[in-house]
Amino acid sequence: MVRLHLNRIWNAMSSFAAHGIEHLSPSSCNTFIASPAMFVLQKCLKRSTSVGAAAHRGTATETGVAHGLLEPSAPITECVEKAVAQFDQLTALNTDPRKEKERDGIPGMVAQALAELRPYGVPTELQGHVSHTVEGLDVPIIGYFDFEWGQHGILVDLKTTHALPSKISINHARQVSLYKAVRGNSSARICYTTPKKVACYELENSEQHLQALETIGRAIQRFLAVSGDPSELAAMVVPDVDSFYFNDPLTRQAAFEVWGL
Amino acid sequence: MALGLNYESATGGDIIPVCKYNAKAGRWARVDRENNTNEEVDITRTFKAVFDLENVQTGWISFVAGQAPDFDVVTYPDTHPQRTAPTANHKSGVRILVKLGKECGGDVREIASVSKAFLRGMDELHDAYLAGVKANPGKLPVVIMSDTIPIVSEGKGQKSTNYCPKLEIVQWAPRPVDLEAQPRPAASAGRPANTPPSTGSTKATPPANTADDDEFG
Repeated sequence: MVRLHLNRIWNAMSSFAAHGIEHLSPSSCNTFIASPAMFVLQKCLKRSTSVGAAAHRGTATETGVAHGLLEPSAPITECVEKAVAQFDQLTALNTDPRKEKERDGIPGMVAQALAELRPYGVPTELQGHVSHTVEGLDVPIIGYFDFEWGQHGILVDLKTTHALPSKISINHARQVSLYKAVRGNSSARICYTTPKKVACYELENSEQHLQALETIGRAIQRFLAVSGDPSELAAMVVPDVDSFYFNDPLTRQAAFEVWGL
Repeated sequence: MALGLNYESATGGDIIPVCKYNAKAGRWARVDRENNTNEEVDITRTFKAVFDLENVQTGWISFVAGQAPDFDVVTYPDTHPQRTAPTANHKSGVRILVKLGKECGGDVREIASVSKAFLRGMDELHDAYLAGVKANPGKLPVVIMSDTIPIVSEGKGQKSTNYCPKLEIVQWAPRPVDLEAQPRPAASAGRPANTPPSTGSTKATPPANTADDDEFG
């Protein structure tokens, strides 16, 4: 009876509205393709999941780098202090065993990124919101870019990692192609910073990567259109609980409760 | 397969030697390769060539030192579907085959350039070609460089002068037998149409160090 009721509501709504989803993001699109079960858990079943210390490392490093870019004369130690303080705050209750390792990496990551990005000058915008409307998709794809130098037409997204990649990852290319399309920058770059190295790569083929993101968005829409009942969608996917998506104990427990796995 | 020319190099076809226009000096040179070394031979004074403007190609071209050039071009009158450059290294450019006159080499050469000064000269030549080909159906123009026009540009606190070639049609000739149009893949040599797009592995430098965009191709 409840399912019948839900499906009646769903029939009158868009597939996104039926699940209370107001927008997509590069992150949610990437989650859908990497772990459809995690997408269902977060977006349809609305189960809260938490991120590991690595994600907080990225946020904290960005804070330190932003401070150093906005205050060009600020000593690196001051920027690092701000980054580490935020990391400590974000992870105060986090039980991730890699917390100390991630904390130790932050000073080098901040210093490397600032060495690379300070020559760009003071950015004209930080954490800028973008929203992209896609034909045939009922919700926009939104995001927040890290740094923009409007005077140079350059946009940079900062990524922290322990191993410097030799090229931009596909997921990052899709993410930054969204920013480039909305902001109309002539150059979009991704700056990968590690504790010891840094590299800033120029995004290529941005139109094709944006099209890929739009394709993923439409696939999500079709998937959600199968049913307005989240449990029905959950029954169509199975989590890989060995994946890092389920490393967090609370997330792992949620997967067990939903799928019994 | 779009209408195109046999410019193959990566797939084992014969490599077509090149002919260059140096916009910074206003000079023509042909590049001869002997014993695995390139030698530029100045042919400015004797430059004369049959230009295959029937199959001129435009689009995005990347010239990066130490790498093979990358062409993402279409044959005129098609226009390239991509409005923005596929990478920061790609610039709007032109590619064409010519047959050099006997005095300056006598063989078929490829000209490819992203120099704005050269593109301006080519654009004017193409206009003249379109105006004249109706009266010369099936023929190609014989072209000389009658003059160069200095173009001074300013930017980043510096002045630079490039020379736009004044390319003049002096005659119309039947298509030379060795300047035959042949089908070729339409896609970029570096990114064939049916392969996934690259994401980017070119290290970017801070904006102060960006190169002058009016390079010689």
